[in-house]
Formats: sequence, structure tokens, C-alpha cells
Amino acid sequence: MSFFRRLAAQWGERYRKMSIQMVLSLSFTAVAAAGMLLMSVSLIWRFSSANEQLVAENSRRVLAQANLNLDSYLRRMMRISNTVYYRSIKNMDLAEDDLTGDLSLLYEENRDDLVSLAVFDGEGALVSAVPLTALKREAETADSDWFQAASQSMENLHFSTPHVQNIFDDPDYPYRWVVSLSRHVQLTRDGATEGGVLLVDMSFSGIEQVCRDVTLGSGGYLYLIDGDGEIIYHPRQQLIYAGLLEENNRAAAEYRDGSRQEKFQGQSRQVTVKTVGYTGWKLVGVAPAVSWFAASPQLPLFGLTLLLFSIFLLAFLNFLISARISDPILRLERSIRELDKGLAGVKIEEGGCYEVQRLSHAVASMVSTMRHLMDDIIRQEEEKRRSELEVLQSQINPHFLYNTLDSVIWMTESGQQQEAIQMVTSLARLFRISLSKGKSIIPLADELEHARHYMNIQQIRFKNRFTAKIELKPGAEELYTLKLIVQPLLENAIYHGMSSAEDDGVIRVTARREGEDLVIDVEDNGLGMRPELAASLLEEDRPEVRTKGSGIGVRNVHQRVRLTFGEGYGLTIFSEPDEGTLVRIRLPALNREEAERRRQGEEL
Amino acid sequence: MKTEKSRFIQIAILAALGAAAALSLALPQLLRVERRAQLLSVSVMLRDTDSSGWTVARQGMEQAADELGAELRFLTLASANDSAEQETQLLREIEDGAAALVAVPADPAALSAALDPWLVVCPAVTLESAMEGAAGVVSPDNALLGKELAAALLEDWDGGEVLLLDTAGRSSGVLERMEAAAEVLTGAGVPFRRAASLPEEGDLRWVMAFEPAATQRSAEKNEAFSRSFAVYGVGTAAAITAQLERGSIAAMAAWSDYAAGYLAVRRAVGAVRGTDGTLAPLPFSVLRKEDIYAPENQKLLFPIMSSSSR
Repeated sequence: MSFFRRLAAQWGERYRKMSIQMVLSLSFTAVAAAGMLLMSVSLIWRFSSANEQLVAENSRRVLAQANLNLDSYLRRMMRISNTVYYRSIKNMDLAEDDLTGDLSLLYEENRDDLVSLAVFDGEGALVSAVPLTALKREAETADSDWFQAASQSMENLHFSTPHVQNIFDDPDYPYRWVVSLSRHVQLTRDGATEGGVLLVDMSFSGIEQVCRDVTLGSGGYLYLIDGDGEIIYHPRQQLIYAGLLEENNRAAAEYRDGSRQEKFQGQSRQVTVKTVGYTGWKLVGVAPAVSWFAASPQLPLFGLTLLLFSIFLLAFLNFLISARISDPILRLERSIRELDKGLAGVKIEEGGCYEVQRLSHAVASMVSTMRHLMDDIIRQEEEKRRSELEVLQSQINPHFLYNTLDSVIWMTESGQQQEAIQMVTSLARLFRISLSKGKSIIPLADELEHARHYMNIQQIRFKNRFTAKIELKPGAEELYTLKLIVQPLLENAIYHGMSSAEDDGVIRVTARREGEDLVIDVEDNGLGMRPELAASLLEEDRPEVRTKGSGIGVRNVHQRVRLTFGEGYGLTIFSEPDEGTLVRIRLPALNREEAERRRQGEEL
Repeated sequence: MKTEKSRFIQIAILAALGAAAALSLALPQLLRVERRAQLLSVSVMLRDTDSSGWTVARQGMEQAADELGAELRFLTLASANDSAEQETQLLREIEDGAAALVAVPADPAALSAALDPWLVVCPAVTLESAMEGAAGVVSPDNALLGKELAAALLEDWDGGEVLLLDTAGRSSGVLERMEAAAEVLTGAGVPFRRAASLPEEGDLRWVMAFEPAATQRSAEKNEAFSRSFAVYGVGTAAAITAQLERGSIAAMAAWSDYAAGYLAVRRAVGAVRGTDGTLAPLPFSVLRKEDIYAPENQKLLFPIMSSSSR
């Protein structure tokens, strides 16, 4: 039971892994093969049955003909017997007449079929015989089966089984096989009647000739038995007599006339029996089952090959048909798999039969809706990002503007008009760069220019308590950057690093290319801070700290860089207390074309 | 690419199956033609100068040949029991393409030595005497036959010397019969002597012959001498049976020559075709005059030769 369960589980597992084409192909083939097998078995059975009936009919016809021939032959023998009896014996007084002349005439007339004609008295003594006229000295006629049968049943003619006639004295010792026809006769001697026996020895070859040419199809044959099943004629009689062959003759003696199946020595065969009139003999026709089941041994082979051929042809055609049916489904499945991988521009084909078309159409429609939804989400996200950027950038300007203008007011009030002019000029330049026609990505040179103006403003404000050095390294001149990222860091350096400086504060800005990256270092020699604190400055969950500068600080710059270029970019802060701070900005090294492409992306 | 290859394989298998179907349809006809062309040639070599004593055996052989698809060639010797001539003739038969041999060896040892290199390609089956290297021997149990024949003589013996006819030269089967009979006679204290032929004169009462030709000759001589001695012999030929019936032979050991011939050819063909086959000793009976017409003995002694068997 567990075996079947395991088998079912294995099949279930295989079924789950099979393609729809394979399932269709196998199912069609299995059903068709089963149908063909059923049909073949039915046809074979029908063919076999019809053939069996045909063979039986043929056997009956052949046996009827053989019976007719045999009957004719036996009737002829009986006529001879009747002639001897009614025309000669009945009309003769043996005391006066000699029977031998009449017997000789009859013998000569039928010598091909006769071996001897003889008349015996009731004691078995020879009355007359031809062609041999004397009995062997030791012949025991009265004990012979044929004599006994005739003496015991006086009304009938008796046919013996084949035997070697041994009663006549023949110097040649020919040992002829005969079938003896004997009957009781009334002999007249001196006017008185007495019993006797008339013997007609038929040559066995006469019976053999009747039977031997009868054929019953391939491997079939006919044999003749008496009422007890004793073989009278068999085409392989001597092999049976020699013990090299067996026949089912005893069983056949019990069969009634007609056809039947029997199994003999492991072989199925059809046996047809026909009883021969007068004698009780039976003609038995034997047709081996193979002769009607298969006309030749190659027929089953042919059938098997044809079946295999048909099944394979079916499997082949089923495979093609199922491929045609399942291909649209497979293509649809493949498209969905590509969609699943995230490939853009995947086209959903709408082919195949009606249901598959409807399914494809539904999927295509679903995909289209999904794409629109995703585009909407992306656009919304983009807009959200842009608005965040704009908010961040807009947060810078008011603080700085307020502080700068405050300084200008202060300088104007204190009569420092030259410094005020310089500051306002720098501010104007600063704003022009800040605007940059609304572009967020600007040339690195502009950004550093912007930083320089900012530092000019701040140096005026802080009365040159620090110096600023801005350096653009070779190789980075043509690069582009996100705008307004250096200035907030300078602001932080001024307010946190230079707040306690006397005249020795140095703020250094260095821009350089490192492989595919643009690195901008903003370094001061101010108070510095603990590394842990420096690291925590960029953490997103750190509470917003308002500064004295622009009020945005390094975290805003960090977020802007990462929002624009991704997680791999942004700020890194290196600091030690009393040693100063280095803030490093890492950006992708954008050339003109890349910068332009990004700008277009932003506009979209 | 894979699909194309798979389709090509499918079409190839389809074509092969189609060809197989067509071939299997045509096969019976082809086989029939082949079968007709493949009749096995079997040469049958006797050790006598004529084959009249082997008529029944020959009919059994022909029955087997007909059933098994063989054709027979019967050969006799210019002089009886001439071993050298037998060897020469059989070697010639092998050269002429005989597929198998059936022989009644005059001298089994010499014949075996002569045929030894050829027996692998041309198997031989012997009658009467066993031969080394042969595919089988078809004969009664010779020793048992000799003993039972001697026992039959002892039933009648009332004194006098028994003559054992040593007529078969180096035929080991016949010698075996004779030696077994001699052993029984010795055991019973019956005097005997061996001789190659019957003496022309002298008081002779008991003769034992161990092969058909000697039996027939002894019975003929007995009839000529007005049945002055009792012959105990072997054989089933009609002439020998008639001699038994006439009283010229007191008892004879008989077996089915038809079966012997049939089995010999069947085994020979089987050996050529590589089928296994063992041959049991042939059953035999020791018959007297009164037993001849018993139904079973009639079948043994007087074979019915169906014309359809040929």
C-alpha cells in the first residue's frame, strides 16, 4: 500500500514539474494509446473469434467431405460384402457349389482395395478364400476379434481396427495391414443352414488414401479413430506407435460431433469431430490455435510493431499539437517572468485560442495599469524629492541673507563703506551663483567661486580672524557639483571652528578628483570635537540643531548629496579636539554631459 | 537547436518503426524463401553392403528429415564392416558439404579418430555403437539386450554348447551385446564359444547372433538344416520376423527401427542447429513366435508407413 502511495507521490511531484505541453502530450498519448490497445485487443479477439469460427466451419466442411469419401469407400466394401452374401452365399449349397469362383471375380474387380475375401463356418474353419486359399496351421480364426464380433452381433457389419492379417498361409510373409469387415452369414450345406462368418479384408492403404490428402489449414491434420479411441489412421501413425508422439485420441472418442477447444500437451487447439456412419468411427480434425490466432508467427510481431508505430506517431503528433496549444501560454508565462525580473518594455503577446487570448489580454491590461501606477508613484516620489530639495535650498538663503545684510547695515552704520561695498558685491555675486538659472548642478568652479565670495563676506564680518584658502586641483576643473554644498560647511567651520580664533584661523577648501569621484575637503584648525560627536553629527535621527550660521548645517548638505546621488555619496567628518575638523564631501565626478543629463532628469 | 535535434530523433524513430512494420509484414515471405534454401544435408552411412535391413529405419529418418527440413543421402559399403571405406566415404561427404552425419560405425574408435577434426563442423550421430566425439548414439542398452537375450536362451537350454556369433568386427555395440550375453552364460554355467561364422558341420544346438544380418543368415542356415538348432538374435526386418514366425529363430530382441531412424536424424539436425538433446536408450523386447501378433508387437514389427509422412 505504501508502495502505491509513494508511487502516487512521485507521480504527483513529476506532474508538478511538468510543462503544460508535456502534460497535454502525455495525457493525449496515454488516452489514445489506451484506446488503441483496447481497440487492438477487441479487434484481435474479434479477428481470432471470427477466424476460429472460420476454421471450425472449414474443418466441418473438410470433415464432411472426408466422411463422404470414407463413407463411399466403406459402402463399397459393404456392397462387396452384400454381393458375396446375397448373390453368392445365399444362392449356393456349399455341398454342391464352390464359392471360390464368385469370390475370385469380386476380388479381381476390387483388388486395389481388397487384401482377401474369405468365408468361414461357425467353428472358424475356412470354407472358401481368395486370393490365398489356405490358412496357417496355427491360425486361430475363431478367436479373432473380427470373428467374435460377427458371431456375437449377427445383424450388423463389423469393422475392425487396423491389424496385420495373420491367418492366411502366404509363403512371402507380406504382413499386410488390413481393416477387417466381418458379418455373420447363413451358409447352406446339403440343404441345411448353418452360421458362418464372411470376412472382407480391406487394404489399410484404401483408408489411408481417403484420409491422407485432407488438409486443415496451417499445421492442421485429420485422424481416424474407432469408437474406443483406437487410432485407425493418423498422418504420423508410426511415430505414435513408436512412442515418439502422443495423440489425444482417447479423449476425442468421448467428444460429440462438432467443434470444441481442447488443451493437449500445453497446446490449445480446435478439434472437430465427425462420426462415420455404420462404423462408429470418428474423423477428428485438429487445428492448432496458432493457425487461427495468427496466420503466421510474424503476425503478432507485425501487430506489435504497428501498435508501437501508431503510438509513437500519436505521441509525435500530440507533441506538435500540444506545443501549438501551449506555446501562447508558455510565451505569456515567459513574459510574466521577465516582468517579474523587472525588465522594462516587455510585450505581452495576445495569441493562441480564445481563452488564452482573453487571459493574455487581461494580463496585458493588468501590466499596463501597473505600469501607469508605477509611473505615477515614481513621478510623485520625484516631485516629493524635488520639493524637499527646494525646501532645503530655500532654507539656506534667508538665514544667510539676514546675517549678511545685518553685517552690511552694521558696516554702513560704522562707516566702513568700502567693506560694505565689497560685501554687497560679494553677496550679489553669491546670489547670482546661487540662482544659477535655477539649476541645482553647477560647475565646480562656480561652487568654489561662490565659497570664495561667501568667505569674503565672512572675513569682513569676522575682521579677518581667519584666512581662507580655496584650491582646485588639476583634473577637477571641468567637473560639476551640486550647488551650495561648500558654503554651509564653511559656515560651520566659521561658527564652530573659528569662534575662538584670534588671527591664526585657517579654513582650507580643496577640490580634487579621485577616480570616478569628486572629493571636496573643508578643513579648519579650530576647536575640533570628539570623533564620536563628529560621527553623530550626520545621523538622521539626531535632533535638529539650529546654528548661528545659515541654520542648516552639515546634515542638510549630507542629505542633499545623498538624495541627489545615492547612498554611496555624502559627507564624512574627521575631527579631534583642539586639532580642527575635516569635512569631506564625496560626489560622483560629473562631466558636462552627465551634469546636463541629470539636469534634464530633474526637469522631468 | 535542442528542439530541432529532438524532432529529428523522433522522425528517425518514426521512420524506423515504419520500416519495422513493413519488414514484419514482409517477413513471412522472406523466411519462407530462406527456409526453402536452407535444407540441411545429412549423410547416412551404414556398415552393410545393402540397406534392405534398414528400410524401416530409413523411413523413420525420412519422416524426421521432412519435419525438420533436411535432405538425406544414404550410403552403403562395397564390403560389409569395412571401416576404412566407411571413413573415406564419410570424409568425402564432409568435403561435399554434408551438414551432419548419421552412421552405423563399423569400427567406432577408428571412425572417431578419422572424423575427430571434422566433428565440430559436421556433427555425427551413431546407430548401434557409441562413438567418441559423436553428438549422440541411438541404440538399445546393448549390455542389457545381450543379457536378456541370453536369459531367453537359458529358458530353453537343456544342455549343449552355445555358439556366440562374433560377426560385427570392431562394432563396439554388437560386441557389448555379445560380452553381456557371455557373462550371463558364464554365470549360468552354460558352455559357449565365439565364432565369426556358423560351422558347416558339427553338432550345433544353440546359436546367438547379435546383429540383424547375422541373425538372418543364421536363421536361413537353420532352415536349410531343417531347424536343427535354435537361433537367438536381434532385428525387426520383415524377413527376420517371418523367420521367427516360421520357427527358424527361437527368440529375438526387437526395437523400433522407425524410432531409431527418426531419433538419429532429429538429433543430428538438432546438433547442427545447436539445440540440446539427450538420447535415452531405445526400449526393446525379446519376442518369441507367439508374441508376434500381439497388438503392441504388431505396431513394433510391422510399421504402417503413411504416404503423407513423406
